[in-house]
Amino acid sequence: MNMTGIIFSNIYDAYMGDLTKHRTLASLPFGGRYRLIDFVLSNMSNSGINNVGIITKYNYQSLIDHLGSCEEWDMSRKNSKVFILPPFGTGQTSVYQGKLEALYGALQFLRRTKEDYIMMSDCNVICNIDYELVMKEHIKSGAQLTVVANREDPQFEGELRDFVITADDDGIVTDLAIRHTFTRENLCGMGMFIIEKSLLLHAVEEAVSHGLYHFERDFVQKEFLTGHLSVNVYEFKRSVLRNRDIPSYFRNNCLILQEEVRKDIFDPQNPIYTKVRDEVPAFYDRDAEVDDCVIADGCRIEGKVSDSVIFRNVTIEKGATVDHCVVMQGTVIRAGANIRYTILDKDVEITEGRTLVGSDLAPVIIQKGNKI
Amino acid sequence: MLERCKECIAMLLAGGQGSRLKVLTSDIAKPAVPFGGKYRIIDFPLSNCVNSGIDTVGILTQYQPLVLNSYVGNGQPWGLNRNYGGARILPPYAQSDRSEWYKGTANAIYQNLPFIEMYNPEYVLILSGDHIYKMDYSKMLEYHKEKNADCTIAAIDVPMEETHRFGIINTNPDNSIYEFEEKPEHAKSTNANMGIYIFNWKILKKYLEMDEQDPHSSNDFGKNILPKLLEDKQRMFAYPFSGYWKDVGTLESLWEANMDLINPSVPIELKDDDFKIYTRNYAKPPSFVSRSAAIENSIVGEGCDVRGTVENSVIFTGCKIEEGAVIKDSVVMPNTLVKAGARIEFTIIGEKAVIGRNAVIGKSPKDYAINAWGITVVGTNKTIGDEEIIAPKQVV
Repeated sequence: MNMTGIIFSNIYDAYMGDLTKHRTLASLPFGGRYRLIDFVLSNMSNSGINNVGIITKYNYQSLIDHLGSCEEWDMSRKNSKVFILPPFGTGQTSVYQGKLEALYGALQFLRRTKEDYIMMSDCNVICNIDYELVMKEHIKSGAQLTVVANREDPQFEGELRDFVITADDDGIVTDLAIRHTFTRENLCGMGMFIIEKSLLLHAVEEAVSHGLYHFERDFVQKEFLTGHLSVNVYEFKRSVLRNRDIPSYFRNNCLILQEEVRKDIFDPQNPIYTKVRDEVPAFYDRDAEVDDCVIADGCRIEGKVSDSVIFRNVTIEKGATVDHCVVMQGTVIRAGANIRYTILDKDVEITEGRTLVGSDLAPVIIQKGNKI
Repeated sequence: MLERCKECIAMLLAGGQGSRLKVLTSDIAKPAVPFGGKYRIIDFPLSNCVNSGIDTVGILTQYQPLVLNSYVGNGQPWGLNRNYGGARILPPYAQSDRSEWYKGTANAIYQNLPFIEMYNPEYVLILSGDHIYKMDYSKMLEYHKEKNADCTIAAIDVPMEETHRFGIINTNPDNSIYEFEEKPEHAKSTNANMGIYIFNWKILKKYLEMDEQDPHSSNDFGKNILPKLLEDKQRMFAYPFSGYWKDVGTLESLWEANMDLINPSVPIELKDDDFKIYTRNYAKPPSFVSRSAAIENSIVGEGCDVRGTVENSVIFTGCKIEEGAVIKDSVVMPNTLVKAGARIEFTIIGEKAVIGRNAVIGKSPKDYAINAWGITVVGTNKTIGDEEIIAPKQVV
């Protein structure tokens, strides 16, 4: 396809607290065996985007380790490649504040690409989308920029979205707002944009020389409101999981337990790829009791688990109770422990008989490698 | 020396039909038969090679090779996609002066002399794709060198009452071999031939060429090559192996080997970070287990959707078990759908099968006379209708 992919791996790191202390948002584990970047990168690979740049800022060791040569995404080929673009990658760059500055660091990469269009995406939004369809709509619309968006009901009074679009009955965009309330009448941007490369290059250079860095605010909104940019909106109608903060991340993991959501996200025609770890299949002991859970390879389940997402290589010993939890790779929950509404990061050990109870809006978080 | 060479390469005999596996091998070669919830039989010898530092494996295929060939692919899942060496599929091919199928195990290697010569190895390891076991071949190679042997055969101690099923190796106290007994009624020892050989390449090459000249030979390692080496007093040694090793050439043994994985008293542990069994991965999401499900003492692969009851069973990748279905003491191979209310006991279900609503397949042996009972088998891609009943021992 005539499109290069750009993935921002760190833009929303600050929203995820301790979970992104030692990793990029892109490498945050999700859904039993994935990391957030798997979804957007698989979408790009499945859509026929052969050239992807991943912009990083810091903490990118875990990301590089996860991606390896990208062969699992089928992007380690002569004509299909992933480039990791760290800060200081070229002479004139530094740690950036926003996407425009980040793109400034990627100018050399962008200039070198043969494709005429750029698909920019964050990695905090999970969905299974065909970018080829978005591209077709973009060309048909004749607009300079297409934003991918969906309709949602607010979870609570006064909830905000980063990019709220108002369009008339014909789908013509009439207003763009940054960090604004919304209703089902609005469309909420999913952090995915298609733009012509030459226009983006120009915008990046202009913005940086004027000290501007916020792509949505300083470029899209400003140029649109002054009539210099035509914006088309592509409405995406299947499941969208936005990870905006810890409660939403926690809720989204639990949403994976719903059949319709799993059907939408794990489309067998367009699989979500991830790093292969060669774990053995999961083993369920005689005393295992599992109710509505997602359970990955390598697990050993001897206790009681309900409404939880259990990642690879987790052990839940006899008599332990795990309810409404996200348990990441390699964690061990010893006999008799009672864990509810908790996020256990990688390689945590919960010792015998321990009790941890959080709530759906404020889950307890146990950091990577801790022993409780 | 102008060309690079390898110290040891492996040749994996994967051409057999495995006719005793009946419907399970009607479309695929035996080494491609699924095993253990996510593996295929060939994963074991291939992973053993990689874990033993052997990075060049010629895979000799002949019977129904499509699935096996595409499964092995470029060898990447096992780390066998190498610049020099790696996994190579070796089917029989037309040659300038003749064209023929592989006539026997020895002839299969003979026809691939040019492949082995490409690497000009010192030693050649001969393997088969019929067994489930974990073995570090590098230790066997060390042993081969220590003994200054021409040929080393891996041997495992089997119970005396089972010796009639195996090739038995009789050895002197220093483990040198003085006699082979093929499936003897009254064996002299309990050392069974595991079908794993290390040869000095120069010796093997000579004997393969000699064997090819013999019109009466059946071109088989066990029947021809090994006895001939012994007759000529070449240095042959048995390498004692202890650990889990199981032939999965029959429906019963395949079922048993799967059941061994959920039997804590059987010493096979696949979960071992220092000796992983690698397999091709199909990008399936993790399994979902619903509230209506009950899973006990079982293995469940990835991408499954389990809503029924599963007991003492091995469920492979991508299966869907609907609510009210009951699966006990059974093996359900990849991507099979078991509809609501179906009852499956002591059965092997092949890949991509569909089991209809309320179908009853197989039965526990307890209500049957020994001869009247057997494992029930449903073949690959087979559809069993709603309410249909398949009796024990039936193979459909």
